[in-house]
Amino acid sequence: MYILLIKQFFRTKTVVLAFGILIVLGILSISTGKQFLNQKQIAIEKTIEQQQKHIETQTTLHKDDLGLLLYYLKFSFIKNINPLAGISIGQSDLNLHIQNVTILNLEGQKYDTDLVNPMRLHVGNLDLSFLIIFLFPLVIIALTFNILSEEEEKGTWKMVTIQGPSTFKFLLVKLSIRLIFIFLVLTLLFLLTKFVLGIPFSMNFLYIISISYLYLLFWFAVCFFVILLRKSSNINALVLLTSWLILVVFLPVLVNNYITNAYPIEDTFAMTIKQRDEYHKKWDTDKKETLEKFYKHYPQFTKYGIKDKGFSWLWYYAMQQMGDDESKLEREAMYLKINKRETLSKAISQFFPPLQVQLSMNEIANTSLSDQVAFLNATTKFHEAIRLQFYPKIFDNLSATAVNWEGYKPEYFKSQNRFSLFKNTIYMVLIILFLTGIAILKNKKYFS
Amino acid sequence: MEKQIVILIAKQSFKKAFSNKGLLMLCFIFLATLTYITINSWRAFEKHHHAVEHHQEKSRQSWEDNPDKHPHRMAHFGSFAFRLQHPLSIFDSGIESYTGNSIFLEAHKQHTANFSEASLSTGLVRFGDLNIAMMLQLILPLIIFFIGYSSITFERENGTLKIIHIQGAKIKEILLGKSLGLFLVSSLFFIPALLSLWSLSFINNETANSAIVIRSLLITMSYLLFYIMLSCITVILSARSKNSNKALISLLGIWLLFFIIIPKTAQVVGNAMHPNLSKIEFKAAVEAEVTKKGDSHNPNDPYFNSVRDSILKANNVTDIKDLPFNYSGFLMSKGEKQSAIIYKNQYQKLIETYRKQNSITNGLVWLNPYLVIKNLSMSLSGTDFDTYVNFLSQTESYRYKQSQYMNDLQMKFISNNAKSSEGKIHVVNKAHWKSLPVFNYKYLPINKTLANQLFAIITLFIWVVLAFIIISKLSSRFKIIQ
Repeated sequence: MYILLIKQFFRTKTVVLAFGILIVLGILSISTGKQFLNQKQIAIEKTIEQQQKHIETQTTLHKDDLGLLLYYLKFSFIKNINPLAGISIGQSDLNLHIQNVTILNLEGQKYDTDLVNPMRLHVGNLDLSFLIIFLFPLVIIALTFNILSEEEEKGTWKMVTIQGPSTFKFLLVKLSIRLIFIFLVLTLLFLLTKFVLGIPFSMNFLYIISISYLYLLFWFAVCFFVILLRKSSNINALVLLTSWLILVVFLPVLVNNYITNAYPIEDTFAMTIKQRDEYHKKWDTDKKETLEKFYKHYPQFTKYGIKDKGFSWLWYYAMQQMGDDESKLEREAMYLKINKRETLSKAISQFFPPLQVQLSMNEIANTSLSDQVAFLNATTKFHEAIRLQFYPKIFDNLSATAVNWEGYKPEYFKSQNRFSLFKNTIYMVLIILFLTGIAILKNKKYFS
Repeated sequence: MEKQIVILIAKQSFKKAFSNKGLLMLCFIFLATLTYITINSWRAFEKHHHAVEHHQEKSRQSWEDNPDKHPHRMAHFGSFAFRLQHPLSIFDSGIESYTGNSIFLEAHKQHTANFSEASLSTGLVRFGDLNIAMMLQLILPLIIFFIGYSSITFERENGTLKIIHIQGAKIKEILLGKSLGLFLVSSLFFIPALLSLWSLSFINNETANSAIVIRSLLITMSYLLFYIMLSCITVILSARSKNSNKALISLLGIWLLFFIIIPKTAQVVGNAMHPNLSKIEFKAAVEAEVTKKGDSHNPNDPYFNSVRDSILKANNVTDIKDLPFNYSGFLMSKGEKQSAIIYKNQYQKLIETYRKQNSITNGLVWLNPYLVIKNLSMSLSGTDFDTYVNFLSQTESYRYKQSQYMNDLQMKFISNNAKSSEGKIHVVNKAHWKSLPVFNYKYLPINKTLANQLFAIITLFIWVVLAFIIISKLSSRFKIIQ
């Protein structure tokens, strides 16, 4: 029976068309991911190259004045791209993954953006995660919405009831054929992804795969539920498409809109003005006051004393430092709101599989907003470390030759990953069980 | 062709559509959502607008509050340009979420526009933006398809089609009548949306340079044409399909292909074909050219040395200290001019690459009416790519003016003996800070928008005409009984 049903399954044009579309778009999405990874990788290589050249030219140009040299000198801090980002590009296309910072006021530097076509960002990425979240459900709907109703409408269902031992089993076999083939297509795409993007078999890759299959199971459960309401094919199609439209198109947009409006981040404006003003004000205020504030932050430098006559690098860098130090409140307000957005997104999303899957995949692939925030925070630490290395050297008026520049290579950010598969899928599993359970219970009498 | 019959059939199909309680329900949900979106986006817009204006003033205030200073300090004090959204962004937010909101403008350094909404949002932002235009462009067409898919097939399946025909209605009249009826039904959905557009435009009528009434008029016209065309296409497809099932499937397929897959794929392909420089490459390219021309910060630079020599000669002096103006101010103004030109050229190249990336999408408007309405609606709402590029170029020209203003002050008022910009000796009166004009962002003029979108407007007309032609062609070889 299996083979006959498989043959029947492949007779319809819809099947061939659906699988064709999935494969073609699948290949396109994988190459999108590949291109994305390549571009990011090229930028990293260019940075490494640039940094070396940059240090060489600047150190020869300003070799006598370390203070001036450090005014120009940029240090690179790089966020390595996880190959999984090729599957779920997430927010990593609009955030910079390379920081090039001088030891001056950091807050004026670290939020610079990459050069990306805003139209591209607006349309969004055609990555594998999009294919899985958006298109696979449609294919599942297209291939299953009429598996029962069609037989009833054509009158063949009666034949099945008479001939078969269990009509329920027959239905399950039909459904499982669709499930197996759709899963096969996804497996094929994942295999292709693994080789094209060079993803190692790791727990994280496994997480993405399991979440994807689970998500497809969720849609099969929805279809199963609707099929067993035993309405006409047209009604099934309408109900399923509307659910798709609400779950995948409308709801995410609504949720995001709600979150954006619940926590508007205007603090960015206040923060960015403040960091400018606080630094520049110091040009006109008492030098002693600035230096005292600076020594309060770094007691270890108190020995350099108060220089309040004329220009000194000590005073200059103390002023720069104040830009960062005195915009702290505004900065914290901004990060607090970003944090709230993230928390609220997660809290709402766990009940809605499409949102949940997108956020989880981003989290696993280190392409989420919180990952970017972590990178920004790490940049601050990196910047602080460089500052602390150079401050005493500048204050001692050392020359550039006293520094071993060989040691200054780009440094890398390591993403932390504390993804919990259980926590992120528990509601999805419950929804699946609930839907199938109800569907079976309601139809128990037909399927005994 | 009799007008009355067309109207009669339109009326009949309009009435029939509402015999279905589901449609009323759908209409109600649609309107409720629309109201929610309008109020919500309006509030968000007001808030944002207020925040931008407030901070713009605050930033200017602290600019003006600066005491007497060396002008070069002010050149680096710089100013901020916070981007004001066009009031119609409430209607269609276009690429608004992805464009930077704040840009810092200082001497000899071009910063990026930062803090776009999307960069501060979670991954959910990538599902799209909630606004009136999204309801009109994505959801309403689907509703029209749902209502209209069986408009002809149903009559045929029931055998009523031949009865109508026998009673004297020509096929063309039936098809046109059905299209008109469908259009009338859809008007119940889009008229409220356009009403909210018009109320927005009346409330914001005062906004300078927004050309809001003309824009609203053009938006209204575009959407009307779009829905006329869409109604016709739905009826045509219904007429060409063997049964209702097939009509529904093909319309849904069209929606998916034309509204979701093609737009996305086109942009992805465009980007793959014309990759743009990353930030680091872009900066390296600018820097390489600047140093090739001469580095004004390098005291031994041959180019600037030759400039110095010729200046000394022209003023008949041997030492820069004897020049009638501040030499380093002069040098910086030269350097600024040069680097601004180099930056501009590189930047133009980048924008050209972006345009090439968008060209696939823009070229496809011939084949995809959804792209037409999307582009038109976005441009007319002042939330498109060109408007943003225009904003950026306005900020850059302000930055240039501001820097040169400071360089001029330095040349005029600062002595050649000044060694550093520190302290209270070599300063300029603070009254000069106030006399620098405020950054005043002007929205892209409507005629520019129209020029950019001329192609799209023509295409929309062609699509409507084409739909009518297909209807009349179809009616000549239409089978009433299949």
